[in-house]
Amino acid sequence: MARFAIKSLWARKVRALTTTLAVVIGVAFVAGTYILTDTTFAAFDEIFEDSLAKTDVVITAKEEVRQETGETPSFKATVLPKVRQVDGVRVAVGQIFTVGAFFDAKNEQIGTKFAPKFITSNIPESLETQTYVEGRKPRDAKEAALDQGAAEEAGLGVGDTLKLASVERVAAYRIVGLTKLGEASWGGASIAGLILPEAQRITDKRGEFDQVLIAASGGVSEETLKRRVQQKVADPSLLIETAEENAKRNSDQIHEDLGFLRIALLVFAFVALFVGAFLIFNTFSITVAQRIKEFGMLRTLGAGRGQILGSVVVEALAIGILGALLGLAGGYAIAVGLNALFVAVGIDLPTTALVTKTRTIVIALLIGIGITLISSFIPALRATRVPPIAALLALELPQSRRRGVVLAVLAVLLGLVGLGMVAVGLFGGADGGSAAGLIGGGAVAVLLGVSLFSPRLVRPLASLTGRPLERLRRLTGRLARENTQRNPARTAVTAAALMIGLAVVAFVTVFAAGIKGSIATAVDESFQGELVLQNSDGFSPISPRAASLARKIPGVELVSTMRVAQAELLDGGGTERVSALDRDAGAVIDIDWSEGGSQTLRDLNDDEVIVDKSFASSNGVDVGDEASFLTQIGAKPRLRIVGKYEDKAELLGGAIVTQRLMATAFDQRDDTIDFVKLAPGASAEKIQAALIKSMDREFPVVEVRNQQELKENQEEQINQLLGLIYALLALAVIVSLFGIANTLALSIHERTRELGMLRAIGMSRSQARTMIRYEAVITALIGALLGMVIGVIFAALIAQPLKDEGFTLSYPVLQLVLMLIFAAFAGILAAIPPSIRASRLDVLEALHYE
Amino acid sequence: MSESNGNVVTASEVARRYGEGDAAVDALAGITTGFERGRFTAIMGPSGSGKSTLMHILAGLDKPTAGTVHIEDVEITKLDDAALTKLRRDKLGFIFQFFNLLPVLTAEENLVLPLSIAGRKPDQAWVDQLVRTVGLEDRRTHRPSELSGGQQQRVAVARALISKPAVVFADEPTGNLDSKASADVLRLLRQAVDEFDQTVVMVTHDPDAAAHADRLITLRDGHIVHDAVPGSTADVIELMKQID
Repeated sequence: MARFAIKSLWARKVRALTTTLAVVIGVAFVAGTYILTDTTFAAFDEIFEDSLAKTDVVITAKEEVRQETGETPSFKATVLPKVRQVDGVRVAVGQIFTVGAFFDAKNEQIGTKFAPKFITSNIPESLETQTYVEGRKPRDAKEAALDQGAAEEAGLGVGDTLKLASVERVAAYRIVGLTKLGEASWGGASIAGLILPEAQRITDKRGEFDQVLIAASGGVSEETLKRRVQQKVADPSLLIETAEENAKRNSDQIHEDLGFLRIALLVFAFVALFVGAFLIFNTFSITVAQRIKEFGMLRTLGAGRGQILGSVVVEALAIGILGALLGLAGGYAIAVGLNALFVAVGIDLPTTALVTKTRTIVIALLIGIGITLISSFIPALRATRVPPIAALLALELPQSRRRGVVLAVLAVLLGLVGLGMVAVGLFGGADGGSAAGLIGGGAVAVLLGVSLFSPRLVRPLASLTGRPLERLRRLTGRLARENTQRNPARTAVTAAALMIGLAVVAFVTVFAAGIKGSIATAVDESFQGELVLQNSDGFSPISPRAASLARKIPGVELVSTMRVAQAELLDGGGTERVSALDRDAGAVIDIDWSEGGSQTLRDLNDDEVIVDKSFASSNGVDVGDEASFLTQIGAKPRLRIVGKYEDKAELLGGAIVTQRLMATAFDQRDDTIDFVKLAPGASAEKIQAALIKSMDREFPVVEVRNQQELKENQEEQINQLLGLIYALLALAVIVSLFGIANTLALSIHERTRELGMLRAIGMSRSQARTMIRYEAVITALIGALLGMVIGVIFAALIAQPLKDEGFTLSYPVLQLVLMLIFAAFAGILAAIPPSIRASRLDVLEALHYE
Repeated sequence: MSESNGNVVTASEVARRYGEGDAAVDALAGITTGFERGRFTAIMGPSGSGKSTLMHILAGLDKPTAGTVHIEDVEITKLDDAALTKLRRDKLGFIFQFFNLLPVLTAEENLVLPLSIAGRKPDQAWVDQLVRTVGLEDRRTHRPSELSGGQQQRVAVARALISKPAVVFADEPTGNLDSKASADVLRLLRQAVDEFDQTVVMVTHDPDAAAHADRLITLRDGHIVHDAVPGSTADVIELMKQID
């Protein structure tokens, strides 16, 4: 029986191939995700390990609460002499290793937007793991080294000018050497080296280090040395680790930070697989229906039900295995493609030789084979119900009315359960992870429910979408519409595959439009000031001197600063963003007060705090209560709550404290954003130009934006993310197009004689092509319409709980219409191979076809 | 070679060979004949005699390996697909053994299908007359699945006549019908010839069907072995016995 299955598969190789492709794409996406993320993690691990290859013990400052900027605090250099006294220390050196910004001679930023640039200080040969590909180490305060990757990217070489900027300062250096570390690529990240005093000066860390690297004398183990250093130094604010521990901690941190990336990619891979499952189910359903006579014949020859089931399952197994293996191979292409996609949107992660873990292979095989077997099982079961008499009669598969009713009830139940899960996820107060799980699971249930129910919707929807075509091309349009309505279940499943992809696309589009609109509204409503000063990356701190500089520009009435730090609410609260405002902030930002007002802010004391409404309610605190925070330097200020506000623009975070407290307890003395208010009658344009000019000279990282640019900057980031998501969904949409092509090919096969008759009575080739093309367009439009409705409903649902935070949904009608047009074109594309086949049918053969 | 001698369809030296070399089979070995306007011709012959092949070539569905076919003044053996499509719309009507109606269209829609395909407006009076002739006035809006086999074939006959073609080709039109339904269809074909001056060429193995024709051509091994008025059903049966 197995041999029969393989042979019958071989006899229909083209169809088998398209079915296999559906498996291949989904599996390749999953495998590619694992390969890429494993590779990225491996690259990070390599970099961390390589850079500490000659180091045994590392001292860094302990960071109690991680900061958004990723910066770790520095510490006093006085620890170094103590370390050097420890027995067993062969060499110990303090190093600067801090995030900065790089520019070329023309003040153009070097490197990709979202990748870190490190300013570091030289370390002696005995600890150094970077090698000089060209040139030498910097020897004086005017020289710098730059990593080869960044240099190549920026077109810089030895002798060229490199400008380095920290929060406070900027200086120009001559590049004297190009460096390289290990084999891994740094991606978009880059590293510049200076002599120690200059590195400390430019980063404003005179008398401080970011880390101390220690190498042990022969015979002293890392562990022993670590213990001895710990004893000698005895400073609880410092973290003393072996090189191995340090690398592991950094690597764990990266895994935590980038873990979402893997999950997000897997979600998109899952969408593609889900769509693929529909295609497999549909293809097997149709082929089983077409092979009724064959199964009946086998039954008359004495084949048992189990054998029939076996033959279909073996076919599925063969497709699954082939698809999984090809998918695994395709995973490498996907991994490379995904990385290129990320680079295109500015996420340039480190890479190294592609990593294939056994886990990746196992998962790819399990998923590929599993999904094929599961999706083909119901059609296989149906094949077993074919009675032997079918060999002699032109029987249809038994489709009882009861089964239709059962399916409809099941569909409605699934939909309700799905909506229930979504509702619980949204309003049930579950935490982030399980809420996302509930919403995701609910979405899958709703999609399945709608797919099951959709055969009942095919008739009206085909009439709706087919009408314009009928008007355009009377007969061919009419026939196309009727053909899609002939077998509603088949059309429904084919359309459902596209529906899934487009539901996600529509959801994302509507949601993104809502975010963009809400940001624009929030910016309009909250910012009274005309201009803002910000780091060009939008979140890193800028020097407080930038604000002083701005105050000197004529026409500037007021510059109000805001500083930000991450802190933890003690007694079970999560990490929160805490901001500190100038007392006159009320003049530049419009705070939506629930309790208190501008006076509350003006009179705020160092032992008081104003909290966000939702922060207060989720932590069970209110005005009059006291709240304790843990700051990044380990301070635990206990503060009285004196006011409440609603943070609509996602600007202020969970709490507002005084700037003095921000400096002492939170160790944050730099600004995150400066709001500039102009004197009445001053020209915003001229002042912006003047500000840009003065910032360029002293603080090239500072960007001066007006309200419009602020909105555009946010919008641009959202658009980039949107572009990325569309690209990731494209694979799922492609799979569903294969589905349309496959279904059409199969139904043309069934209608061979009918097509022959049509041709014989005068239908031209191009009319035959048009008819098939319109069938595809109608099917695609049914899927698109259903998908868009579901996507929009989901966006509206999920926006509900966000309303309190100022999120308002807007419906991008133009984009949605464009999506429909796109879907129609996608249908035309999918129809190319089957329509060509239909038009090339030999009339005579087709007429005698059985 | 054309209408001057009253022939709508003319075949000269038409040969059809399948395969090559030793395995080659001559289905038609050089047939020359013509079909006059307003005549009902039946083509008979045992299996493998070449009768179907002849009709396929006459109708432009197959190409001869040698010889030419003219329909009216057009040499169809040289036409490309687009020209053949146009020819089918303007000059040819087809009736098949299996009724070949589109299940998604109503009886009347199926009837006017050739005109719809050609993008022409049907002449309602002609449609009504045909519907009356085939006796399906009360079945106009029924779908094929709601019609009996005989009713379906009557729709197919009307469909073949709707464009008033130069010639109607019928391939075993009664092959799948009971005797009552067969009689209805044959009467219709006869009526088309007598009342509408249609030219009909029918391939059949049913002696009763052949007896309805004005002329009977009998083929064996790719040659015409008999060409005369068929006479009665009994005569045809006798003739076929001789040939076999």
